[in-house]
Amino acid sequence: VNRHQLGEFEEIVMLTVGILYKEAYGVAIIDEIEARQNRKVSIGALQTVLRRLENKGYLTSEFGETTNVRGGKRKRYFSLTSLGSRILRETQDQRVEMFRAIPRIAFPKS
Amino acid sequence: MNSIPHIQPPKFFLRFFRWFCDPALAEDIEGDLTEMFEREIGAGNITKAKLQFSVRILGLFRPGIIKKVGRSSLNHPSPMFKNYFITSVRSLMRSAGFSTINIVGLAVGLATFSLIAFYVYSELSFDRHHEKADRIFRIVENLRTENEELFQSTSAPPMGPRFLKDFPEVESYVRLQQWNLLAQRNDISSYERESYIADSSVFDIFSFKLLKGDKKTALREPFSIVLTESMAKKYFGNEEPVGQTLRMDYDNYKVTGVMEDAPENSHFRFSNLISFSTWSRNNKRAEDNAWFWNGFHTYVLLREDASVDNVRAKMKDFLERNVEKGGMYYEDLPLQPLASIYMAPPRTWENGSRGSMNNMYILSIIAVFILLIACFNYINLATARASRRLKEVGLRKTLGAFRRMLIAQFLGESLIITIVASLIAIILVWIALPPFRTLVESPLNFSILPNAWMVASVILALVVFIGLLAGAYPAYIISKFQPIQIFRPSSKGIFGHNALRKVLVSTQFIISIMLVAGTLLVYDQLDVVRNQNLGFDKEGIIVVPTNGDTAIVNYLDVIKNELKQVPGVTAVAGSTSTPGQSANNNYTQIEMTDGKMSPTNINFIFIDHDFLSTYQIKLLAGRDFQRDVKSDDTTAYLINETAMKDFGWTPEQALGKKVRGRYEGKIIGVMKDFNYRSLHTKVEPLMIAMTRNVGRMSIRLEGKNLPATISRVQKKWNELIPYLPFDYSFLDVEFDRQYKADKQLGKVAGVFTSLAMFIGCLGLLGLTAFVVERRTKEIGIRKVLGASVPSVVILITREFIWLVMIALLVATPLTWYLISRWEQNFTLQAVINPFRFVMAGLAVFLVAWLTISVLSLRAANANPTKALRME
Repeated sequence: VNRHQLGEFEEIVMLTVGILYKEAYGVAIIDEIEARQNRKVSIGALQTVLRRLENKGYLTSEFGETTNVRGGKRKRYFSLTSLGSRILRETQDQRVEMFRAIPRIAFPKS
Repeated sequence: MNSIPHIQPPKFFLRFFRWFCDPALAEDIEGDLTEMFEREIGAGNITKAKLQFSVRILGLFRPGIIKKVGRSSLNHPSPMFKNYFITSVRSLMRSAGFSTINIVGLAVGLATFSLIAFYVYSELSFDRHHEKADRIFRIVENLRTENEELFQSTSAPPMGPRFLKDFPEVESYVRLQQWNLLAQRNDISSYERESYIADSSVFDIFSFKLLKGDKKTALREPFSIVLTESMAKKYFGNEEPVGQTLRMDYDNYKVTGVMEDAPENSHFRFSNLISFSTWSRNNKRAEDNAWFWNGFHTYVLLREDASVDNVRAKMKDFLERNVEKGGMYYEDLPLQPLASIYMAPPRTWENGSRGSMNNMYILSIIAVFILLIACFNYINLATARASRRLKEVGLRKTLGAFRRMLIAQFLGESLIITIVASLIAIILVWIALPPFRTLVESPLNFSILPNAWMVASVILALVVFIGLLAGAYPAYIISKFQPIQIFRPSSKGIFGHNALRKVLVSTQFIISIMLVAGTLLVYDQLDVVRNQNLGFDKEGIIVVPTNGDTAIVNYLDVIKNELKQVPGVTAVAGSTSTPGQSANNNYTQIEMTDGKMSPTNINFIFIDHDFLSTYQIKLLAGRDFQRDVKSDDTTAYLINETAMKDFGWTPEQALGKKVRGRYEGKIIGVMKDFNYRSLHTKVEPLMIAMTRNVGRMSIRLEGKNLPATISRVQKKWNELIPYLPFDYSFLDVEFDRQYKADKQLGKVAGVFTSLAMFIGCLGLLGLTAFVVERRTKEIGIRKVLGASVPSVVILITREFIWLVMIALLVATPLTWYLISRWEQNFTLQAVINPFRFVMAGLAVFLVAWLTISVLSLRAANANPTKALRME
């Protein structure tokens, strides 16, 4: 189980790739994270993580159509692999399980 | 969104990104960057967009995005390379002396090589700059007369037009003839020796650039002239020359154009071009019919699809159809490719200067020799010092280094040395280029080189080649060590390559001796040429051109008398040409022994009464022209000894023979041969006739203070003929100029011989140092046991003496052969003096011995206790 530990940013990226389904390419991912999380994402950090996740086999990618915008450069669309979605689910289950395991007394009254 | 494409992201950062980014990732990331950039531009803030773009790229410069280097290797050699580099640098630093010798030797070698290569390249680049160069050919003539075969560079005026008519392959032709005109404007007057008349097609055939004027019409009308930029500047300064007139000799020429100066590497250069019609409008008959008047250089342009062989195949037929037989026959009309003219053996009446292919070969050989000597130094020192690296190599092998890795290491080391040397060589070339230009008397502009990338890659290839050449053998030897030899150093296994070192050193000696002996012999030959009895006295004569000025022609005797009055002047003579120039070759009929008039072509010089006495030319029979024999002016001829022999006469028989040339007359005298051309050609038959139309005045001076005499003559000249420039030259200097290429070779060979010796000595110094170092203990023990200083010195030098002896034996026949081949260029050849080889051998030996002795004496004089106390 430990082998598949996801980092926090990795997890966010994978979630976003999932959210954007079929439309998950660099700029869209950044926009989505920035909109949902209200935090700045640098393209350097994102791209490094995307490639790392791809190398681990959690994500897969393919080129889109050539367009006239973007200086004629194609987009690379990322999507979750079955391994990736299993890991993501396991991670979420772990979180939820752990969250549930917190005794109610531990939460200060708000 | 329409305005977006106008704003480009910062170029520098984009380029940086493309450089470092892993190519597998580059496309979509760059797309993302562009998209974000365009979006921010769309939002309106350009500065911010650019800033953000750059910041993002800097943010991408991180592992994972940067492309990976050398990831494929199993044994991760990149830290190993670093280690190789460090050990190489350390070992170079540790033996700084040896490294310096290697680097300096290679640097000087490379610098010399590049200089010579540059020069040779520039000499071989002649005329290749014309766009249609491969389609341009010069028509030259091989003629046969009764007595000889003539190889002329010139052709007859109808030749070009008839070629165009008869050969469908010929697209166009141009005829050129050199004129020497006195140009005058305001107070500037000077001789334009390089004026040419040319057909207007000259601009279509050659790629000379016309800056002003219309190339179709510029050379159409008579008395039109196109000036080169430098001539335009000379006479018109900053004025607009086009449309103005320029006085040349007695005519006014209209300037119809200005062109770029002809490039330095053109086989003929000119200061201006004059319309062909200037000449042909009064010479229509000659232009159409003068098949035996070879007064023009004719160039033809072939059509793009035509082959020169087709034209050549039809030549015999062409000659039969067009040229009727006169006193001589056209043997052949060869077509010289434009680019080959400069290096081809010169024919008579060449236009412009000529190079010498021989000299190119000799220089190239010297260049390669010098580079070889430098490489041998490296090989010698590196193999000699290989034992020093024994421990390192042993350790590496023990730890599992493959042999090929070691080879790579040592090749890398020689590459490092070569690269450092080449950097120094670049500085050396930079410093040496100006004096080198003077030495070879060539402008050597960088503009003649192809583009910079070509040059850079050639240099790089040279550096790598030299690095590998020098490093290959040492790398092979060093990598062969077995680790066990460190502990059991049998001298055989490690130092078995001694024989090779001896071969290399003696090769260096051979080269040195060849160069020294060769240079000495070249100078011998030049001395023979310079001190040769020319048949006339060339010392103390100055020559002033007059260009057939009418005042001089009309008042020749008066002017000569006035000049003779000047103190220091002993004689004055006028003539059409002076020795050292070409002579006219004229169609003449001469009475043979059987009484028939036989047509022939013979060289002519036209002179006045004082020519023979001024030049001190001797007569074998008969008499000189005499003033009191009035009929001499129109009936008398002189011939030279060679002509007399050619016609099969004795001197007495020659006198009185009829001659039909410029005028009908008789031979009145036979001159002893004198060299009216250079010693490269033998003296040819010559005929001399009288003229008043002098083109050059020869003034013989005496006394020590020539400059003062000359300025007195100049003063007198300016009084008599103020409008004519006193543009004098020394006859002996002019005459010697014919040996320019040979003298140059002597000088260049001398300089490079010393350089070769220098590099060779450096290597020898290194080797001796090494031998001395290795034998320190031996020398110490010998001295303790009572050896004297000389015996120790001899011990060390003995080996080298042998090598010099062997080298001398090998070098002598080689040099002998090469020099005798070279001397065949001269009609008068110096005897090869065997003593020169002894001198060369001695010189090389002496220099080598001195080099060795410095170190071996020090070793011999050292206190033996010091040597023995070590360790």
